[in-house]
Amino acid sequence: MTRVLALLEKELADLRQNPALFVPAALTGFFSILLPFIVAIVVPQVAGERLSDSSDFEIAIEMYRNEPSVKGLDPEGAVQAWIFQQFLVLLVLTPVAGSMSVAAYSVIGEKQARTLEPLLATPLTTFELLAAKVLGSLLPAVGLTLACFGLYVAGVALFAQPGVFRALLTPRSLAIVFVLGPLAALAALQLAVCVSSRVNDARSAQQIGALIILPIAGLLVMQLTGSFLLTIPVIGFIALMLAGVNASLMLFGIALFDRESILTRWK
Amino acid sequence: MVSASHLTRRFGDRVAVEDVSFDLAPGEIFALLGPNGAGKTTTLRMLAGLIRPTSGTISIGGETLTSGNAPRLRSRVGFLTETPGLWERLDVRRNLLVYARLHGLPDPDGAVNAALDTFDMRGRARDTAATLSKGLKQRVALARTLLHQPDVVLLDEPTAGLDPESAREVRDLILRLRSERRTVMVSTHNLDEVERIATRVAILRSRLVAMDTPAALRARLFGVRVRVVLSQAAYRFVHVLRDEGFLDTSAEGSSLSIAVNDAADAAPHIVRALVEAGADVQTVTAEQPPLEQVYLRLLDDEVRLKPDTTNTGS
Repeated sequence: MTRVLALLEKELADLRQNPALFVPAALTGFFSILLPFIVAIVVPQVAGERLSDSSDFEIAIEMYRNEPSVKGLDPEGAVQAWIFQQFLVLLVLTPVAGSMSVAAYSVIGEKQARTLEPLLATPLTTFELLAAKVLGSLLPAVGLTLACFGLYVAGVALFAQPGVFRALLTPRSLAIVFVLGPLAALAALQLAVCVSSRVNDARSAQQIGALIILPIAGLLVMQLTGSFLLTIPVIGFIALMLAGVNASLMLFGIALFDRESILTRWK
Repeated sequence: MVSASHLTRRFGDRVAVEDVSFDLAPGEIFALLGPNGAGKTTTLRMLAGLIRPTSGTISIGGETLTSGNAPRLRSRVGFLTETPGLWERLDVRRNLLVYARLHGLPDPDGAVNAALDTFDMRGRARDTAATLSKGLKQRVALARTLLHQPDVVLLDEPTAGLDPESAREVRDLILRLRSERRTVMVSTHNLDEVERIATRVAILRSRLVAMDTPAALRARLFGVRVRVVLSQAAYRFVHVLRDEGFLDTSAEGSSLSIAVNDAADAAPHIVRALVEAGADVQTVTAEQPPLEQVYLRLLDDEVRLKPDTTNTGS
């Protein structure tokens, strides 16, 4: 554990010296939280129409009629609450997309900078190396997600109908952000680190690791079309699956990490 | 302290190291010489527990290196890689501190401070590695290599690319390691450096071409010769020495070159014979062909000496 912490602190210190690495993450987070405000607040104001007048959102009004957290909202507030809830899934993408470049660069970057060999010459085990690398990408990403979520809730409290922000503080919403988000990010980042330890180019790792975005984007689309809802039991099921995937990915990563190939074949 | 027995390492069809054996004693500085691609770095990596030999065994401090105990045995070895490999964005102190903690040192800060003092880097401790000169980076890398006080120190071309002053500092440090009774193996192309620091030399071209002290290698290839400089023409005294039994005697200008079995034993006899014959002797020295000549001859000529794997040096 000491060695994981030692390397993790180095990873975080390295990131602090190179904050530009997190610009893509910050941009992803910014646009993730901006988009629903455009849909729910800016567009209706510019068009001069209320969302609740559109038949497209009847389902939202229906869904939220019996939702305790939004009881008392007028129809416009219910539609806004529905939109802001659905777009929460985008926040799950923030840590994944944002820290992918960090994770993808983690092993191949050390190799290219010729810092990997001295590191491997220490008592550090493969598990410790991979754990520190994954955590080094995950922790800043989760921190960014929390910041984005705080901004999101604050923005909703400021600009949406009164009371809408309470819809974002339900167990379901919090589970999406604080359970599903980090677990999905962990899986994506582990995948990126695994790939990073097998390829000669950080870009390859980034592209392959980014595949995790596809199922999350699919979830978002299914949510918006109403064909699939992330209820608490569904979130719990997905979380369990992701936990299993994460455990498997760690074992897989350790098996894949071939010190000899990394040292002798990479140029 | 370190023992390698019949080490072989193949990469696919290519044999990088073949049937290499040696024993290194504490306090020994063992130089590994050889052309590029001769297997020097591969040998060091095997000793550092970074790559496994295809066959053969390595033991460190009497314990055979296996994949199971490699992480633990790596803490007894300090490995200076070919490039300093510092984290450029981090400062010198942080670079060392991470390694102190990776090695599980009980007082990482104290160990780093001690290393900074030893390597005279205290004043640059807060500078990022990227701002250091190549020589200073190498100094930090050496500090990192020795931070955990390893018994075995493996140095892969430690003075490559350094200016003469920095190279001398590194050499002084290697000599200090010897006085601390650490076992040092150094891979280098710098034959002058080997001459100055090595207690034993191994010449590698996948296989061990030769292994011995520099003086013994010279003696094996070129024999032992004594050079006598006279104040008159030397050719006049060749027959004097041949009559004394020094049959392999040659003259060039005012110098005589005489093959002997032992320079210290033969020199008084030679000088006496020459003086009695009327020669005016100015200097008497043991002839030392440069190590480069030994190295090139071993590699390029047909001379192949059987490695003496039992010699553990000093």
